Amino acid sequence: MRRELGMLIALVLMCIALWTSNSDFLSASNVVNTTRQVSMLGIFAIGIAFVIITGGIDLSIGSVVGLTGVIIARLSSTQTGGLGYPLWVGVTVALLAAVIVGVLQGLLITRLKLQPFIVTLGGMLLLRGVSQTIVDGGVISMGDSPLLNLASGGLLHIGRDPLIGWPLVIFGAVAAVGAYVLHYTVLGRYIYAIGGNRDAARYSGINVNRVELLTYVISAGTAGIAGICYAAYIGQMSQQVGVAYELYAIAAAVLGGCSLRGGEGTIFGILIGASMMRVIDNGINMFQVQYTDPDGIRRIWRLNPNWNWIIVGAVILVAVILDQVVHMVQAARRLKEAGQPKPASGPPSGAPPEAAKSPV
Amino acid sequence: MSEVPQSETPLLRMRGITKRFPGVVALQGVSLSLKAGEVLALMGENGAGKSTLMKILGGVQPPDEGEIEIDGKPVAFDGVKDSKGSGIALIHQELMLAPNLDITSNIFLGNEGAKGGLFGPLNRPKMNARATELIARVGLRLPVTTQVSRLTAGQMQMVEIAKALLTKARIIIMDEPTSSLAGAESEQLFKIIRQLKADGIGIIYISHRMQEVMDLADRITVLRDGRYVGDLHRAEATHDKVVAMMVGRELSNHYFPEKRERTSTEPMLEVKDLIVPGAPDRASFTARKGEILGFAGLIGAGRTELMEAIFGVTPALAGSMKLDGRPYAPHEPRQAIDAGVYLAPEDRKRHGLVLPMSVAQNTSLPNVSSYAAFGWLDRKTEQEVAENGVKRLRTKTPSIKQAVGNLSGGNQQKVVLAKWLAMAPKVLILDEPTRGIDVGAKAEIYRHMADLAEQGITILMVSSDMEETIGMSDRVVVMHERKLKGVLERHELTQLAIADLMTGNPEARGSLAPKATGESNVAAS
Repeated sequence: MRRELGMLIALVLMCIALWTSNSDFLSASNVVNTTRQVSMLGIFAIGIAFVIITGGIDLSIGSVVGLTGVIIARLSSTQTGGLGYPLWVGVTVALLAAVIVGVLQGLLITRLKLQPFIVTLGGMLLLRGVSQTIVDGGVISMGDSPLLNLASGGLLHIGRDPLIGWPLVIFGAVAAVGAYVLHYTVLGRYIYAIGGNRDAARYSGINVNRVELLTYVISAGTAGIAGICYAAYIGQMSQQVGVAYELYAIAAAVLGGCSLRGGEGTIFGILIGASMMRVIDNGINMFQVQYTDPDGIRRIWRLNPNWNWIIVGAVILVAVILDQVVHMVQAARRLKEAGQPKPASGPPSGAPPEAAKSPV
Repeated sequence: MSEVPQSETPLLRMRGITKRFPGVVALQGVSLSLKAGEVLALMGENGAGKSTLMKILGGVQPPDEGEIEIDGKPVAFDGVKDSKGSGIALIHQELMLAPNLDITSNIFLGNEGAKGGLFGPLNRPKMNARATELIARVGLRLPVTTQVSRLTAGQMQMVEIAKALLTKARIIIMDEPTSSLAGAESEQLFKIIRQLKADGIGIIYISHRMQEVMDLADRITVLRDGRYVGDLHRAEATHDKVVAMMVGRELSNHYFPEKRERTSTEPMLEVKDLIVPGAPDRASFTARKGEILGFAGLIGAGRTELMEAIFGVTPALAGSMKLDGRPYAPHEPRQAIDAGVYLAPEDRKRHGLVLPMSVAQNTSLPNVSSYAAFGWLDRKTEQEVAENGVKRLRTKTPSIKQAVGNLSGGNQQKVVLAKWLAMAPKVLILDEPTRGIDVGAKAEIYRHMADLAEQGITILMVSSDMEETIGMSDRVVVMHERKLKGVLERHELTQLAIADLMTGNPEARGSLAPKATGESNVAAS
């Protein structure tokens, strides 16, 4: 939990710094907007966390987000290119498609023992092409479909903006269910055990294939849910929707304390990781320094918007570097302790430092 | 063994070595000397400081105090490279070979000797020729282009030694070299060690196996709790004396629990014509209720594979099994577990435990779903079960929340046992139950095994430790080259009888006359 707390402190400090530099950071519209972004990313970041904790990876979820959106647009839009079916048809078919993608990828990974990276890389490209074909290389507008309320509506309105948008409600629900499954159920325990030692899990009688398959379904399923939110938010569906989102989700998971080697990570951490990613995005727009130039004119310095990716990339690198330094310091300490005479606290055996991270 | 002329100055002398770690003194003024052409056994329980001392000698860690002399000249190692440069080679218990490369590449790894550094061309013909010479010296007759992953544990050990010979090492440290070897392979290793000795190489030999130390060592240095206890020359060393020095007291009761007369002839596990993947023949045997059935054989004799087939890890291709009279054919460990057949695997860390998880979580892993209502984890029950396991086996752990990766080998094994004992075992398969475990914990595990057998649980014990096999088993099945070679009754259990069968001697006592079909069958008696 220490890593999560460290990131939480970093997040709070970042928010305070942004608010100090630009009080608009905490303005109603910015808060609502950032929260919406955090929520939509958080939904599928939680899904991918299930995969990452078992030691797998899912590169296809960005494409699944896009696919769900274009399926809804194609089936339910009343505009050009849309087939005009009722909204529930589009949403149901889209979610089913997402789940089927998860099942198929999961089967390839668990039954044919293919590497998750390759399977989901193939899935990512293939589904992107499917989306492109569905929209025929163009854009389908959702028009003024009631779906758009999903992104803009919510509870407890302040003026026009809802304080708690529907995406946040959905995110809350996904996080609650995710936390329950991961931390309080047998399935969650098995997920950590598989990430910690796949062989030992199998020798302990765990049906590793079934659990792994489930994680890919969960990952694709949450991407489908997020995809609906994005469709509502963007309103104009093209093949471009969701490009590189999987990388955002992976980054959020890693920032939140997941190890790509598996066995580590918590839902709370994912919440923080997703918030971090979106606050950075938002912060790059909001950050400003007011100063008076030599001529006595008050000016405002802002970050160059071209630096966006530089900053996002740097933050991720700094976070993992700091984490690794902590690990190395701990490892050095443990190495020293290896000579300890008492067997009970004796030689370490490659256990990750935050060994008992998952709740006992 | 011929006496080797030894010079006056010892090859190696370590004096007053002290190493402190925060809150603990790992080594306190330890001294050690080694002459050219001498085999020095370094003994002590786990945690006695053997590894730390050898790490200091290998240049992995610097000592806080004390000095190291080679040929009477003081040396200071700043890293492994310095130590190697001084002619010291450390062969780790877990071999440091790249399985994906061939023998030559492994022998030369890091010593390619190519001109031009990283981009220098490799002279493969020359390297192969040299590698062939080196492996011939250690008695390997294989093409040097054989991929290391295809070698047996014993052959890999020889490659490690060949690697040390390449760098003209004068001091070779072997850390538990026989822990993965058995019988003939160990014998081969001992032969090589004697040969190295004759060539004037000094050998520091770390082992928990008393018998081989007695056979091999010229001198024994014993450490206890980071201190030097004393030296014994071979002539004066006895089993009891060494153990007493190691544990600091004479072991009052006998090492192995007394074998009670187990009269049950009721079969528990009947294996008939089982074809294990990779085995040339069908295997048949019967294990009785409440007996400890030992499985002896060399590494690669197919014992682990047979056990994995019984446990459903790699299902048998053909044949049948009966458990307690009922047909039994597991295709996954889960099915074996549900039937009451449990396996404590040979490689605890790889197959037995989830190291980053706690004692409690590891203990409950196979069974947690049975006390979970609607998938909800019952942590209270889980903790009770774990506490019981810790109490029952007297596992030394600060708490059940401790990650098992932080426990010693013996305590890790107890967690593996606790995990199965929390359920209802009918057949408990213990594959190398005491490998890498120190004397005290071994005796405890033996006692538990005897208790379990007493309760009517059938134990299949695979062991490469001859003393253990004879000391613990009621009967012993001997395997050779993936075939069952024979079964020895209790009164027939001698090292010689087992070794005879193990090495494939057809005239051995208890041997099964090969049938016309070439099948090997061990009948239930």
